[in-house]
Amino acid sequence: MQMEPASFPFLSAILLSCVVGMLTIMLIPEEKHRLIKQVSVVFSGICLLLTLYVFFAFNRKLGGLQFVEHVSWIPSLGISYFNAVDGFSLPNILLTGIVFFTGVLTMWELNTRVKEYFALYFLMVAGVFGLFMSMDLFFIFVWYDVSLFPMYLLIAVWGTTRKEYGAMKLTLYLLAGSALILPAIILLWAKSGLDTFSFVSLMHPGLFTPEVQKFAFLLLFLGFGILAAVWPLHTWSPDGHVAAPHGVSMVHAGVLMKIGAFGILRVAIMLCPLGWIYWAKFMAVLAVIGIVYGAFVGLMQTDLKYVIGYSSVSHMGVVCLGLSTVTVAGLNGAVFQMFAHGIMTALFFSSVGYIYDRTHTKMIPELGGLSRIMPVASGFFIMAALAGMGLPGLANFWGELVVFLAALKVYPLFGVIAVLGLVVTALFMLRVVQKAFYGPANPRFAGLQDVSLWLGTPRIILAAVLLIVGLCPSLLFNVIRTASVPFMNGLLR
Amino acid sequence: MIVPFSNVLVVAGILFALGVFCTVARRNLIMIVLGIEIMLNAASIVFVGAALHLDSLDGQTFVLFILAVAATEVSVGLAIIVYAFRRTGSFDPANFNLLR
Amino acid sequence: MVGSPPHAVDLAALIAATMLPFASFLAILVATRGRPRLSAGLSIGSVTIALVCSIALLALNFQLAAPIQFSTRLIASSGLNIPFGFLLDPLNLLMIVVVSTICFLVQVYSLGYMAGDPGFSRYYAFMSLFTWAMMSLSLSASLLQLYFFWELVGLSSYLLIGFWYEKFSATQAGKKAFVMTRAGDVAFFIGFLLLFIHTGDLSIVHLNSRAALAGISPSFLTLSALLIFGGIVGKSAQFPLLTWLPDAMEGPTPVSALLHSATMVAAGVYLFARLFPFFSMSPVAMSVFLAIGTISMLLASTMALVSRDIKRVWAYSTISQLGFMIMALGAGGYFAGVFHLTTHAGFKALLFLCSGVFIHRYETNDIYELSRLGARRMLVPMVSMVLGAAALSGLPPLSGYFSKEAIMGSLSVLPDPVWLAAGLVGVFLTAYYSFRLIFILLLPGESEAPAGAPAAPAHESDESGHKFQDRVMALPLIILSAVTVILGFFATPLKHFLGASLTARGLAGTEASSWPHMAALALAVAGVSLAWIEFGRKGAKQVGFVDRIPSLYRLFSERWYIDRFYGLLVNVVVDRGISRLCYQNDKKVIDGSIDGICEGTVESGRVVAFLQTGMVQYRLLAMFAVLVLLALYFYY
Repeated sequence: MQMEPASFPFLSAILLSCVVGMLTIMLIPEEKHRLIKQVSVVFSGICLLLTLYVFFAFNRKLGGLQFVEHVSWIPSLGISYFNAVDGFSLPNILLTGIVFFTGVLTMWELNTRVKEYFALYFLMVAGVFGLFMSMDLFFIFVWYDVSLFPMYLLIAVWGTTRKEYGAMKLTLYLLAGSALILPAIILLWAKSGLDTFSFVSLMHPGLFTPEVQKFAFLLLFLGFGILAAVWPLHTWSPDGHVAAPHGVSMVHAGVLMKIGAFGILRVAIMLCPLGWIYWAKFMAVLAVIGIVYGAFVGLMQTDLKYVIGYSSVSHMGVVCLGLSTVTVAGLNGAVFQMFAHGIMTALFFSSVGYIYDRTHTKMIPELGGLSRIMPVASGFFIMAALAGMGLPGLANFWGELVVFLAALKVYPLFGVIAVLGLVVTALFMLRVVQKAFYGPANPRFAGLQDVSLWLGTPRIILAAVLLIVGLCPSLLFNVIRTASVPFMNGLLR
Repeated sequence: MIVPFSNVLVVAGILFALGVFCTVARRNLIMIVLGIEIMLNAASIVFVGAALHLDSLDGQTFVLFILAVAATEVSVGLAIIVYAFRRTGSFDPANFNLLR
Repeated sequence: MVGSPPHAVDLAALIAATMLPFASFLAILVATRGRPRLSAGLSIGSVTIALVCSIALLALNFQLAAPIQFSTRLIASSGLNIPFGFLLDPLNLLMIVVVSTICFLVQVYSLGYMAGDPGFSRYYAFMSLFTWAMMSLSLSASLLQLYFFWELVGLSSYLLIGFWYEKFSATQAGKKAFVMTRAGDVAFFIGFLLLFIHTGDLSIVHLNSRAALAGISPSFLTLSALLIFGGIVGKSAQFPLLTWLPDAMEGPTPVSALLHSATMVAAGVYLFARLFPFFSMSPVAMSVFLAIGTISMLLASTMALVSRDIKRVWAYSTISQLGFMIMALGAGGYFAGVFHLTTHAGFKALLFLCSGVFIHRYETNDIYELSRLGARRMLVPMVSMVLGAAALSGLPPLSGYFSKEAIMGSLSVLPDPVWLAAGLVGVFLTAYYSFRLIFILLLPGESEAPAGAPAAPAHESDESGHKFQDRVMALPLIILSAVTVILGFFATPLKHFLGASLTARGLAGTEASSWPHMAALALAVAGVSLAWIEFGRKGAKQVGFVDRIPSLYRLFSERWYIDRFYGLLVNVVVDRGISRLCYQNDKKVIDGSIDGICEGTVESGRVVAFLQTGMVQYRLLAMFAVLVLLALYFYY
């Protein structure tokens, strides 16, 4: 694999800006809310700028691993601090940067325990960034847990509906996931006989016997699959989304679920390609069930956030379907869909957050007619709903198009079923829009303010990203294919 | 040594049994601490007796240590009991089961 | 790639015609939402430029020999090379002129119709969105690009039907329209993806050439043709997805005129014509299309016989006229279908805009009510409406007569006379229901409003504004009436223009005998006379022949129970069936078992906790007992 060492440790700088941000926040006195928020915006803004730089500076002609930083840490065990980006992780890092920044802005109106909230939030995001850029299996596992544990506190303390239940369910599920991942990682480390956790060294085809690959792949797929909300391991995700505070829901649905899919891609698929090919059909079945099932359950929901939660199950099914096709197009579409879905759910939760802060309800029957009272705030939600339906011109369309194309080629029947799920998705998205935003205005909310420019900033950013990527998909596809094409070529050889 | 070692052991044993009984059966924190002290003393007697019996001063050194430990233990223990009494107004160990 | 080198003028005109409406959409949404006049100005300005560009393009390329294609490859992901750009050939030159003309007229008309509406700017934003999407759809160079705008057109339809979103029925109708067309679009989506997988190219020019499809088995070709036709069925409201269109009349009337009669629903037919050479390579698919067109045409005509709602009558007639176009295309009459699309766009928009004037003035949709209130006194709309209805019925010398004649001609060359017979029945029914409406409006029954009553009490206050509105609304009516009168005489040059590209590939229709034309004309006259006997002549009871048969009346007014069927499908099968099942599975089975495991853990912990009394003394006792026992054990 091609490796381009970094001239300046940009990736570490991203991590560092999260950690330094957290420490700075911890040094500010508790009651200075405004200062804490300003500091958070500054540090997350630096983070976003760095990710943008990395995204645009990534050499699309060269591909391979870029911005490589490698420091040996525990040589006896072969653990090293090894960061790099490739075409698969780069969109995810950009996604994290965007969602991180907009998530801070979304929580601008937070008033309880502001300091702790933002400190934990920064820690969680640091874990996510670390996971996406780490090329060392050991560190991947560590970052995975670093991003999980603040999540529990964030939900349990600042959450809303059934927060203890949601937080506990999420944590238990995800710990069960890491209990599956850890043995698989140790197994791979032991069977390789190379005494290294370095990803690059472990990624030699033929290093592991097919039996090891099949077994390890299954463990890794299920372990990361929990985080990616693969059916039937998905029920933590709607409950978790609903319970979490809005900014955390954004990171949770927007980025954490991507960690699962990314883990499947980075660890399971790239290290155990034979296992991947062996289990591909199984993955496809689960994915298709997830797509259709999520949409149908979404029809029954009366809570705005539950609706989004189940739509995420359905959309992550699309990602998983893409991964299961064992084609370049499938991988491209899956990674693209990860990005698109992340931005879309972030927009969803950000809008719901704004609406909930005003109306103090997210039950659909109690809302109604919001378009009259807050046309702009409703407009953003409707836009996210349209993106969720896969409307052309918004980012999700391209992800779905490419995934379905690959799926129809490889599994025609599953592809057709999955595409039919689109009709149900359209039905439930439109139903929500109709019930919550159309109809006569509810007099209870008559005096509420529509969104101001500053409070609307996160949604403007997210909506703009959806539109830009939707109109110019090659922006992402050009990056992703630098990783997917060489990988599949290597596999076929 | 005039007194046979076995007698010393018997006395110590009786004392220890009394201590055990006091610790286990009495429903008063102070009595429990007292019982522990009695058991410690029984052990000290055995150490002294054994030191004479075996012609070694090690046993007597141990007793000095035990005395020091017992003194600190009693002071800490009593402090805890006093605090507990202030909190709950009771010496009954059955009231202190929050950790179950 | 087929085509001559791009001409800079053409390209500039194309970009202006498509991108300006989009720019005005964005500008209105972002900047001028609070300033209705400016928004309307932006929108109408952009559509005017689009109109001028379209006409210029048509004029420049009137002698077009081969299609011109301008394209770039937008996504160059491996395995996915899709051209994005413009295709220019006679068909879409005609289409963009039709689209931009109607868009322009309707937007001008809306100045009057929508005046004072709180969502005035939003209305023009959506109108611009639609103009952009529809123009780009017509000019698309590849199926994927066409699908892209196809969906956007659907979106603008959704937004505009539900424009008055405080009205439940409007939002319901918008949702229904979107979901039903989506169902068709999914078939279209699968269809073109399958085609892409097998041919590797979605360029329309490529798909229409015989060479591209040489290596594909006929059954696969039929399958993908049928799937793509699914999209047409949804968009053009053909059987079985036809019930969304009448409900879509909940939107503002200009919207109905523009989207739901003249242009958007015609996009389905346009797609058919666009891929006509491709479709005609599969005879099986073609006969299926013919059958679906016929069924929709007849079903919708019967529904129109009994409707009392002026807009719904025209909506049903739209479905049935679209059915006619699809029949014509299915029968191989390329020119007939496209020509009918063109003439229909003119006279149907005219009919809707006239109805809009009445609705705007009297605020009711009921034809008997309108008649009672004296709609016939409004001279310009009434005359235009009669003209439009006559064109719809196919009376000479109006445009509809020529296009219907062409359709009958193409049906008559089919070996099976059933289709022609069905077509003739359709002609009769069309004439009957359109003149039923006209006669009801013209000749009120016994309960007429007092003659001296003011025509429009609601609008007296603002006399000058009112006059402006009336003028603005009358202008498009006059223009469209003129078009309706003269368009028929352009049949021959149009045929020549359209045929130029097709005859080259040997697909021109054969000439037919003349008796079907005579029969069609006779039946149209018969329909009008029957309507006269039942509704028009003095002392007529104004009861149609269908009303006398209650079971038939019920069947027709319940729309053949198609809507009931869909309602049942959504309510029982989806909502109460699958959805509930999945939800219960989620709650009871998956969550139940997970929660069960958790509860089990907690419970077993509780059982073990009984051993923990928290009494320090018991632990000591146990310790001593164990020590004693251990001592005994070691001793012995």
